[in-house]
Amino acid sequence: MKILVLNSGSSSVKYQVIETDLERMEEDRDLALAVGQVEKIGLSDSRLTLSVPGRPAYQDYREVLEHRAAIDWALRALVDPEHGVLAAVTDIEAVGHRVVHGGEEFASSVLMTPDVVAKIEACSVLAPLHNPANLRGYHAAFAALPKVPHVAVFDTAFHQTTPGHAYLYGIPFQLYTKHQIRRYGFHGTSHRYVSYRGCQALGWSRDDRRVITVHLGNGCSIAAIDHARSIDTSMGFTPLEGLLMGTRSGDMDPAIIPWLMAMEELTLHQVNTMLNKHSGLYGISGVSSDMREVLKARARGEQRADVAFRIFCYRVKKYIGAYAAAMGGVDAVFMTGGIGENSPDVREHSLNGLEFMGLELDAARNAATVGKEGEISTDGSRVKALVVPTNEEKTIARDVARVLGGVMPTFTPPESFS
Amino acid sequence: MMGRSIATKVAQAGLNVSLKELSQEALESTKRELEKSLDHEIARFGLTSSEKKAILSRIRLVTTFDAIGDADLAIETVQEDQALKRQILRELDRRLAPDHPIVINTSTLSITELAADASRPERILGMHFLYPVTTTRVVEVVRGQLTSDEVFERAIQFGRLLGKVPIKVFEMPGFVTTRVALPLVNEAMHVVMEGVAQAAEVDLALKLGYDFRVGPLEWADRTGLDRILTWMQHLHDETGEPRFRPCPLLRRLVRAGLLGAKTGRGFFTYDANRRRTDRLPDDQPGLG
Repeated sequence: MKILVLNSGSSSVKYQVIETDLERMEEDRDLALAVGQVEKIGLSDSRLTLSVPGRPAYQDYREVLEHRAAIDWALRALVDPEHGVLAAVTDIEAVGHRVVHGGEEFASSVLMTPDVVAKIEACSVLAPLHNPANLRGYHAAFAALPKVPHVAVFDTAFHQTTPGHAYLYGIPFQLYTKHQIRRYGFHGTSHRYVSYRGCQALGWSRDDRRVITVHLGNGCSIAAIDHARSIDTSMGFTPLEGLLMGTRSGDMDPAIIPWLMAMEELTLHQVNTMLNKHSGLYGISGVSSDMREVLKARARGEQRADVAFRIFCYRVKKYIGAYAAAMGGVDAVFMTGGIGENSPDVREHSLNGLEFMGLELDAARNAATVGKEGEISTDGSRVKALVVPTNEEKTIARDVARVLGGVMPTFTPPESFS
Repeated sequence: MMGRSIATKVAQAGLNVSLKELSQEALESTKRELEKSLDHEIARFGLTSSEKKAILSRIRLVTTFDAIGDADLAIETVQEDQALKRQILRELDRRLAPDHPIVINTSTLSITELAADASRPERILGMHFLYPVTTTRVVEVVRGQLTSDEVFERAIQFGRLLGKVPIKVFEMPGFVTTRVALPLVNEAMHVVMEGVAQAAEVDLALKLGYDFRVGPLEWADRTGLDRILTWMQHLHDETGEPRFRPCPLLRRLVRAGLLGAKTGRGFFTYDANRRRTDRLPDDQPGLG
């Protein structure tokens, strides 16, 4: 079946048309027919792009003021006789929506009924920038395609298997019951796909292995996956916690925040932007939030770029050690995301020195594996290290097929206090 | 300053805006000040450099009314001078499509009176933006006697688009914010004049006692004592109420050219970056 996958942000909609079904996914024959996005929604020079394998990329500009117009535009492009890939909009048999936050409500992907939509809306308080935008995309897509099923796939769902001792913070318990302040974790769709695909590549069943998935992109997170279940992850209540990222601080002493607000007389907005947009690789290196630029500056001998790089890798290593301990050992480490897939330097500095726990990096394999799947540990390495390119859209499309086919695995979180 | 601040906020909301200055020289200075204030906000972590770029790309600086063309909405932000504001309104009235709102930014002047000789007074209303427009959360949307429901509603929507909470007010001198704040400031000045307490301690008492972010006298200094005097005088003239009579100390400081932060001295002293230089030890930032 042809599935439209949508990732709607506040001013952009990314879309893909993926052909898949239960049979195709079994044989790994899912097919991405078209990939594109509409950017700068709300402005007079909105841009649409559409790439179809084997054809030159197509783009167009016009004024698009809201999501409904953006999705109509994307659908028109998809059925365009010259640039499109579909004969008619009715060829789309289902829509999969990326939804950032499912709170404690959603532990797996679900069909979007009015009740589900209301619950997603209720989760907006936890992700005020993302969920409302995801829902705007849903409402727009539903208006255009009211007769097909729509499925929500959550960034947080995969981590709902984490136990209370991993997801609760050491702050007064009533803040959890009152405001649901706990660790949720994000990038769940990526961690789930990469752990599945990595084990498959090694010829393993994920169900009896302990793996660590390291997603290093603009946002970075790492997950401990024990027998196919996420038992801990580095992002927390928001995506700010954990590893150092492009512009986010990751872990820090929370006492710094009130101290800075008082001493620098910063407003809530300023301190929030400081942590989310002025920190991380960018804030430390002063060069860029882009690891490639930081690496160039480091090669030129810039000290701050070097220390930014070292902080970045050091934290990855520290978390790998912590998660290996949390699982009582580890069978494989899978690296993914823009940086994880493309930077041998980052992988080398993050994974070197882990021989004590059985991980031996193969320098030549590491250097040769860029932007593709491949093993980067030595043949004798007891713990395998692999590069596994992530594919969240494919996972979303597959979840749509699973939900509609009635085979979406569901589970109850191991520990609930509510 | 107000025009620049409003234009920045409008551009920040993702809208295109033309900012009209009187001369090429004023335009150049505005360009520099725009950069400076955005850089300041970057240094305070409130903005990123790519956001700055996007904001600047949406602000078009012009020197003639004709260069504005037909805007969906126009805001005048000249000083509180009846005749000058009227002249600007006439220019805008001639150029904007008949149903496009024209906004007067004023703290004290009468919208109805200013709109009196416009061809379509129903499309004229007031919006009282408070400085700095980029951070204050409130805007007073002021309905003149003849303002239409539709125009009033559009201005409220516009305020929301800018991320502000619109407070609906009917036209009365000073609206809400100015009318309530000025007597408080004036009273603080009386307290100083009568020798009850020193200016710094008056401010500190209100800051610590009532959780004011800035004390009333520093607020007056930062607003400009000359502007405060103009507003007070206008409120007094309009209402005849003795509670709006400007404090003699305020008059004296203005006559002496001690206008507050912009001149380096008013009730307090300021450096070239408008930072207070005479804060009491108890008035330093800290965890408290």
